[in-house]
Amino acid sequence: MHDITVVDLSRLQFAATALYHFLFVPLTLGMTFMLAAMETVYVVTGKVIYKQITQFWGKLFLINFALGVATGLTMEFQFGTNWSFYSSFVGDIFGAPLAIEGLMAFFLESTFVGLMVFGWHRLKPGQHLAVTYLVALGSNLSALWILVANAFMQDPVGAHFNPTTMRMELNDFAALIFSSDAQAKFVHTSIAGYVTAAIFVAGVSAWYMLKNRHMELARRSFRMSVLFGVLSTAGVITLGDALGFVGAEAQPTKLAAMEGLWKTESAPMPFNLMAFPSQENQTNYGEVKVPYVLSILVTHSLTGTVPGVDVLEQRAEERIRGGIPAVSSLKMLSADPKDPVAMNQFTTHQKDLGYGFLVKRYADDVTTATDEQIAQAAKDSIPHVATMFWSFRVMVLLGLGMLAFFVLGLIYTLRNTVQYKRTFLKFAVWMIPAPFLACEAGWLVAEIGRQPWTVYGLLPTWMSASTHSVGYMVFSLIGFVAVYTVFIVIEMYLMVRAIRKGPDDGNGAAELDVGDLSLPASRKTLAEA
Amino acid sequence: MKTFIQFSIFMLIAGLAIVLAIILGDRGAWYFAWLVGTVMIVLIAAVGGALLDAQDERAAALALERKDGKH
Repeated sequence: MHDITVVDLSRLQFAATALYHFLFVPLTLGMTFMLAAMETVYVVTGKVIYKQITQFWGKLFLINFALGVATGLTMEFQFGTNWSFYSSFVGDIFGAPLAIEGLMAFFLESTFVGLMVFGWHRLKPGQHLAVTYLVALGSNLSALWILVANAFMQDPVGAHFNPTTMRMELNDFAALIFSSDAQAKFVHTSIAGYVTAAIFVAGVSAWYMLKNRHMELARRSFRMSVLFGVLSTAGVITLGDALGFVGAEAQPTKLAAMEGLWKTESAPMPFNLMAFPSQENQTNYGEVKVPYVLSILVTHSLTGTVPGVDVLEQRAEERIRGGIPAVSSLKMLSADPKDPVAMNQFTTHQKDLGYGFLVKRYADDVTTATDEQIAQAAKDSIPHVATMFWSFRVMVLLGLGMLAFFVLGLIYTLRNTVQYKRTFLKFAVWMIPAPFLACEAGWLVAEIGRQPWTVYGLLPTWMSASTHSVGYMVFSLIGFVAVYTVFIVIEMYLMVRAIRKGPDDGNGAAELDVGDLSLPASRKTLAEA
Repeated sequence: MKTFIQFSIFMLIAGLAIVLAIILGDRGAWYFAWLVGTVMIVLIAAVGGALLDAQDERAAALALERKDGKH
């Protein structure tokens, strides 16, 4: 039997490393394509300012990329060290996309990053631009394969459990990569990275405009970033809706937790704008409801409805009872893999196998599980509602706030007046943390919402961990947090230093600041007249 | 000959794009949307930068005309 403290510490360690790593990832995903956009203008128009713009933001991208890689490498090792049963159980499926990510996407990205950095004087502009696009493609393909692997954990398709080998086996690779969850999750995450980069570039550009420094770079960067951002934010919201739609089908418990939906309601269901959910009492306090909206959001109709926690727990209880014979048949099959009675029993109940594992936490011999133990296991099938509810709302609120920011910024920049809007510019600087927080909140929704499963409906989290000691886990957790905190501090220091220093002409020489362009040309010339 | 080679390459790219679009459109509509959407986002952002240059140049030209008219 696993020590639950070790399981919780393993979860905490993975969550900590993933959340740290995910501070770097979105900026990398978005910055590469922003650099591609900037360099495209340079190659098409031949204006040197765009080369300098690309090189400046490229420097910031590189700082982030280097630290992102460093924090990401350890995560893959954790599957083997802390989640050994999980790795054994689904390694045949999970390993394939991770291997492709390493061999195809990461190698592509890393190789061409070198060319992008050192190739300015060695490649023709068109060739260098192609390299920049390949870096962008590589970094996003890297995210694709990771998210395909993650999507299998959320919605396990394209695989089956083999009772002879006692592990999951891949039988349809196309189903794995084209699963609805993989598609929606990849596009949502990738474009969230675009939004992060757009806010970052807009915020730093706004800071330059406030300081009346590097105005040529700042005005152009700001213009491009808000256009990049407004389109990306619209995409993120659209794909967020798609993920909710997919999730309603594949992970109803996640959706119920996100919405604080304790009791199943008839259509059209109201949306809980605000509430304070209590897991213990299975109710919400201080609810503020908006009529009709939940049905529209999750079913795209006024007549649609989704199950609440009450119905989902009842279903889980039924499936646990159905899964108990499947689990007990595995014991017989491990003694005699050709036992026809055991095989027949397994085949009949295999769809509920994972739910049978849920109750094994309380009764080692599942056939002796009491009604109370089954009821407790059914309760476990619901993720922590308050965390889900608020993480989701923080993400959505920040997303909508960023959309409003980009729209206003777009109006100002199209009128060419943004450099005079000092309050807005100050606000733009303060917006920089917003997408990072939104991404972290989104990651919490995705991963806490999957609980109590590592592979939804198949493998409970409590069974997936390795059997380490508490001391080992505490020691390694402290080590990870300490090292990663140092990484964050280094990143912040290098970024701030590079931003304060500002752009150069590509040879480390003078700044490209053109102070008199702080006024748009029309006003400047009129002032002179 | 150079034109023919270029024509062949572009036709090949167009053919591949169509095949990719058919496969992705059929099995991975959101992947296809990402591909098209990303290209659109990058190009519109790039056009935004070029548009700012054009706005500045136009404003400078207008200001110059007014200045010349005054003199």
